Amino acid sequence: MFFRLLMESFRRQRRRKMLAGIAILLGTTAVTAMLALATTIGDRIHKELAVYGANIVVYPKADLLDVKVGGVDVKPASGGVYLKESDLQKLKAIFWANNITGVSPELPVQFAVSRQGDERLFPAKGVGYWFDHDFASLKTGAPALHPWWHLEGTWPSRSGDVVVGANFAKQLGLKVGDRFRMQSAPGNVGSSSSTVNVVGIVTSGDETDGAVLLPLQAAQTLVGANDGVRRVEVSARTKPEDAFARKDPETLSPKDHEIWYCRPYANSIAYQIREAIPGAQAEQVRRVEQSEGNVLNRISGLMWLISAAALLAAGFAVSAAMATAILERRGEIGLMRSLGASKGAIAFLFYAETGLLAVFAGTLGYLAGSGLAAWLGARIFAGDGGAAEAVLIPVLLPVVVALALVVAIAGSTPSIRAALRMEPSAILREDA
Amino acid sequence: MNEAKVQTGPLGGSLSEQTTRPDCAVIALSHVTREYSGHAGVVRALADASFSIVAGEWVAITGPSGSGKSTLVNLIGCLDRPTAGELKIDNVDVASMSATELDRFRADKIGFIFQQFHLIPYLSAVENVMLAQYFHSMTDEAEARAALDKVGLGSRISHLPSELSGGEQQRVCIARALINHPPILLADEPTGNLDAANQTIVAELLQDLHRNGHTIVMVTHDPEMAGLAQRKIALSHGKVFCHPVGGPMVTLRR
Repeated sequence: MFFRLLMESFRRQRRRKMLAGIAILLGTTAVTAMLALATTIGDRIHKELAVYGANIVVYPKADLLDVKVGGVDVKPASGGVYLKESDLQKLKAIFWANNITGVSPELPVQFAVSRQGDERLFPAKGVGYWFDHDFASLKTGAPALHPWWHLEGTWPSRSGDVVVGANFAKQLGLKVGDRFRMQSAPGNVGSSSSTVNVVGIVTSGDETDGAVLLPLQAAQTLVGANDGVRRVEVSARTKPEDAFARKDPETLSPKDHEIWYCRPYANSIAYQIREAIPGAQAEQVRRVEQSEGNVLNRISGLMWLISAAALLAAGFAVSAAMATAILERRGEIGLMRSLGASKGAIAFLFYAETGLLAVFAGTLGYLAGSGLAAWLGARIFAGDGGAAEAVLIPVLLPVVVALALVVAIAGSTPSIRAALRMEPSAILREDA
Repeated sequence: MNEAKVQTGPLGGSLSEQTTRPDCAVIALSHVTREYSGHAGVVRALADASFSIVAGEWVAITGPSGSGKSTLVNLIGCLDRPTAGELKIDNVDVASMSATELDRFRADKIGFIFQQFHLIPYLSAVENVMLAQYFHSMTDEAEARAALDKVGLGSRISHLPSELSGGEQQRVCIARALINHPPILLADEPTGNLDAANQTIVAELLQDLHRNGHTIVMVTHDPEMAGLAQRKIALSHGKVFCHPVGGPMVTLRR
């Protein structure tokens, strides 16, 4: 009998139920889309902001280099202290290792160059980089962390290959496929000379345009610093910076220190890098990190606002639809009461109706919202490679259905309470 | 020669005698008052009503509009509670019951017959009867079918109310009122919405029920229907005027 009453209410009040259902559907669609986007927004924003470079730089503790993102080290290569390239493997073991999305060690070098068939030597600057280096599950290197670099040709894949900056190529009249000779500058620990192939010309808009980009190992050979690097840029997925993130970990209580350590703040990751690599100083690049945090905070705030507004609107719409639906069934309520139905039994019947509606509309809303999230993601973050990604996150289904239930129950409660407050005798007489 | 018969109630003894013995009463009101508070102040809908109805008695409640009939029916039907006084149904004081207890008590003790039938339009005749079973305990379709058979609707069990005549709808309503075997049938203008032919059918059905020992409390404006009852309780301005046994039961003729 209960299911008969339940089903009949849907069959007989199709329009009312549909209105309430559409309200829940729209609300949950918006919420699902926002939640689905919110779960991926960190990655996506990180990808978007990756064009501004790394968010953590690592350099020798003893070094007093300015932190410049994408900049080329101007300090004499021979004058500094080196980090060990082999120590970078330790980054794979830090607590937030899986959040590291890119690593690019640098070794600035100074040398002399001469064009083929010309014995004159010109002083030149260069930087040794990884270009397409296997690092844990990543293929990483300078191109990945400097996506704004425009390359004509290819990145070096062999030790004798180099890429030259656009200005450098212009000065020496070089083009892709040309060769020139490199000779280590006087004063370098090592001394070597080699002829290299120009496999690409890079335009960066900064000092790199005047430099030679060569494989890290070749640079190490040139300066005689085997296994040495001067600076490492690290790109990591991080949690937006907040007041807690800016705390000095050394002043925190053990409990707070653990919480701070286990949150993926750029500061925490930098701290873990300092722990992992002996003699290393790691700092967050505040410009990128703060931009990422600000954007995330603003977008998250906006999403919560949209979600709350959508749910509130859905609640009001359900309330209006249910008020009319229950008003139409006052006679039934009066009769049921006269037959001995308790208020609880009648309330249960109506809540079962709205609950069923909420589950159905909430599930549809989840599916529609997932589709909307994919569509929005493709448009907002177009070009990040995730345009066609389906955003079907199973864990959101119970959350969204629960929200739909809350909205439906909250929306229908005033009408149900009002209906149950009415005297059955009055309803029956009024209905007569 | 006027041979006014005194009806004998199921408890034995004359009904007039029984009505003077509240301990035999299935319904007993003692100084019952019901007041309502409104914008215009307190309205006394029923004032100091005291009377008893014994098991198996058929009582008609009469009175003009606003006389307090609905208030009295609501109180006897356990849809309302008195402001003052004692109201006992089946020897239980309902005034002290909680709302939930009253719901349960109503399902057990009272069978309602309405002027407007109040059938659920989307449920068939048998489902309408089963609805009363559902809110009382559990549904039993065979029993519901038998109840409809008893009121002469054995062939109409699967019809919707819209497919039944007024008289048939009222008979479904009577079957529904009887399905949980309540000791009291509370009929509010049971023939008020029926044509003459159907009125006769329903009146005869009520007579049968009374002959079978059912206690019937019937609100009516119709003197002819009221004449079928053993006793009339007249109301005027919230005050009760009990009548003695009205005379022999008569067969309604139209």
